[in-house]
Amino acid sequence: MSQTATWLHAAFDLPADAQSALEQLAEDGVAANDIEVRSSIPLVHEVCPVGLEVHSRVPLMAVAGGLLGGTAAFLLVTLTSLAYPLPTGGMPIVPLPTVGVVTFEGLALGAILCTVATVFYECRLPRLGGRAGPLDHHLAAGSIIVAAKSTDGASEAWAAKATATEVHEVL
Amino acid sequence: MTRWGMAIDTDRCTGCGACVVACHAENNIQTVGEQEARNGRAMHWLRIERHYEGSFPDVKVRFTPVLCQHCAAAPCEPVCPVYATYRTPEGLNAMVYSRCIGTRYCANNCPYTVRVFNWHDGEWPEPLERQLNPDVSVRPAGVMEKCTFCVQRIQDAQDIAKDDDREVQDGEVKTACAQSCPARAIVFGDLEDLDSRVTQLARSERASQLLEDLGTHPSVFYLRGGE
Amino acid sequence: MKEEALVRPLSGFRPWLIVGTLVTGAIAGLLFFSWGYQIKNDIGVAGINRPVFWGFYITNFVFWIGISHAGTLISAILRVTSAEWRRPVTRCAEAITVFALSIGGLFPLIHLGRPWLFWFMIPLPNHRGLWPNFRSPLVWDMMAIGTYLTGSVLYLLLPLLPDMAILRDRALAETPQSPRARLFRLLAMGWRGTTQQWHSLEAGIKVMAVVIIPVAVSVHTIVSWDFSMTLQPMWHSTIFGPYFVVGAIYSGIAVLMLAMYLLRRGLGLQEYLSDKVFNNLGLLFVSFTIIWAYFTFAEHLTVWYGSEPSEMAVFWERVSGEYAPIFWGMIVVNVVIPLGVLPFPWGRKPLATAIVGLGVLVGMWIERFLIVVGTLRMPHLDFTVGTYQPSWVEMGVLVGSFGMFAMLYFLFVQFAPIVSIWEVREGDHIASSVPASAQSVGDEA
Repeated sequence: MSQTATWLHAAFDLPADAQSALEQLAEDGVAANDIEVRSSIPLVHEVCPVGLEVHSRVPLMAVAGGLLGGTAAFLLVTLTSLAYPLPTGGMPIVPLPTVGVVTFEGLALGAILCTVATVFYECRLPRLGGRAGPLDHHLAAGSIIVAAKSTDGASEAWAAKATATEVHEVL
Repeated sequence: MTRWGMAIDTDRCTGCGACVVACHAENNIQTVGEQEARNGRAMHWLRIERHYEGSFPDVKVRFTPVLCQHCAAAPCEPVCPVYATYRTPEGLNAMVYSRCIGTRYCANNCPYTVRVFNWHDGEWPEPLERQLNPDVSVRPAGVMEKCTFCVQRIQDAQDIAKDDDREVQDGEVKTACAQSCPARAIVFGDLEDLDSRVTQLARSERASQLLEDLGTHPSVFYLRGGE
Repeated sequence: MKEEALVRPLSGFRPWLIVGTLVTGAIAGLLFFSWGYQIKNDIGVAGINRPVFWGFYITNFVFWIGISHAGTLISAILRVTSAEWRRPVTRCAEAITVFALSIGGLFPLIHLGRPWLFWFMIPLPNHRGLWPNFRSPLVWDMMAIGTYLTGSVLYLLLPLLPDMAILRDRALAETPQSPRARLFRLLAMGWRGTTQQWHSLEAGIKVMAVVIIPVAVSVHTIVSWDFSMTLQPMWHSTIFGPYFVVGAIYSGIAVLMLAMYLLRRGLGLQEYLSDKVFNNLGLLFVSFTIIWAYFTFAEHLTVWYGSEPSEMAVFWERVSGEYAPIFWGMIVVNVVIPLGVLPFPWGRKPLATAIVGLGVLVGMWIERFLIVVGTLRMPHLDFTVGTYQPSWVEMGVLVGSFGMFAMLYFLFVQFAPIVSIWEVREGDHIASSVPASAQSVGDEA
């Protein structure tokens, strides 16, 4: 959307203050999608916009990645060894125990890479060229920033307990 | 199908070392010098082991030439990461010098310690380089090597036999060690050929193998027990 | 910002850190100089021979890979079991893992006779019918160490994102354009700390912690299988898998204790790398002493009881032969001293654990040496009994590897917080929101 919106950023020192601000915002009828909460430590359950559902597909993708990696490793070792049949003096060229070792490593690698890729995707990282918010230096000190889209005439009472506020033209 | 093997009669072996010298000459093996040999880097593909039997005054010395046993279930083969060593269909444990990257894992898994490593490039000061056998490669530093049952001689005999449209006869292929032994203690031949001398010796009562209980199924038989 | 001590090495001009980096860098240079000399003058400049085909390089390989298990144990297992005292320790442990693995991974290249052909081990399609041998433990090594290195680097980087964001945001107010601020901005990758991001990151870290534990166990098991897949006396042992994993974790904790002590003293981190953390790690340390001693005893008892001649040759060399002094020295520093010091509260003070850790470091190196060289000296056919004398090239590589580890650590400390800021902050937050009566439980852990 090329339309710029006005957001009010407020920095809170205590999680309880931030949470009561979020409840106030919910009462004011601001949608969860128009609110953003940011913190320097995870407070996912303590400070969360009312009605916001947070999901993560990381565990599922980890399992999927593991199966993919394990299958890939298994196929690599078995099919290629059979395709390049080098003489092995009567010993099996595709012994299952040794194939099992390599398959396990492939499984682990697949799970790891898929997990990290999913985390990056869900977090929308790397975010190149993003500009810092107006109150971001408060985050470093441990504050929690609540930003809500403000429409004309909307009450700013929810930011009453904030230690700093600022209006910003774009999120 | 041919299966190359060897029978060594330790009752006949005098420990003269002619086989060791012949092997060096035939296979372009480096001489490493006194200092390196003292550090355990001698490059003998074939070594003469000396064991004393009995106690004074009835001491006997038994000389046992030990070379690559060309095991049917060679422990050196599955551990090489690049397949530089493998078993040929004719029963030789072959070494591919150009593939070897020098991890030395095969040497660590050989229970007979018959593998030898090129720690440095060989030096053949003039005019010794004229002595090199043109049928055999000269190995660079960083490469593993060992007895090949004189595969170049086997190849040669097979080529001649093919030209003459016949099979290789028993006794036609003589490895360098067998050829040079004055006591004729070393016999080389086809173990699948029931009439060959090596098969008869291998089946004699005096025949046994080294480290049999490890299950490597070597192709070399040692004869002892006669007087 | 409350955590000033953690941020201090990352800003301004710190002469001692720079001097430290340069000095350790020079020592690390010895590694590359020796290696370069060896490549130019053939592998024969090392002291290895027949039958001791593997010497210092493989010893160092197993040693460094072993040390890399520090991070996994502390970080992953303690995260999975929600042990709160791990918070200040995770980052320095994970850094140890990544650097130790990188150095350990060099040694398979260093010990090759023709290292420029190492790529033969990689499955590259070709027209010559050549392929790597997936049945070889060395190829398993390559896959296992590759997986573990990838996993450890990612496991270090994921929790680093929020810390880099804190540093980036802090620099906004003070020095927004400095080179370090730009680095922090780059490494933070745009992390904003939203609810969704935290949820995903925490899920990701949890999964990584669970996955990296079996990977670490498999890595050192596979390294131990380089030995136990052979038929050599006292190598062909089924106990090697778990034995090496236990030894790896043991040496890893030892290095961690030493590193933590040096960081505490050098960077003034007493508040974070507190006596309580050293105490808890010391207890973990002594439990691994007992486990390691148990495995060592079991290994030697079964060999001695079975009395197989070729194995007994190796056994007696260790117990009463040429290697007896270092074998018994190893028992002293790995078992006697830790058991005599760590069970007591005074023995788990920072300096005491660091000294014990240093001893265990030496002892575990000796253990690897005895396993590699002790067996190779005494082959099945005893006519080719050997000796081994390391050359200056091998010594140079050994010393240089320690220098390289220290240099990488010095560099890391100047560009990333060695104690995880957000995790410590989160720990404080959790502690302060728990009612006072329940809080004492955490302190007694």
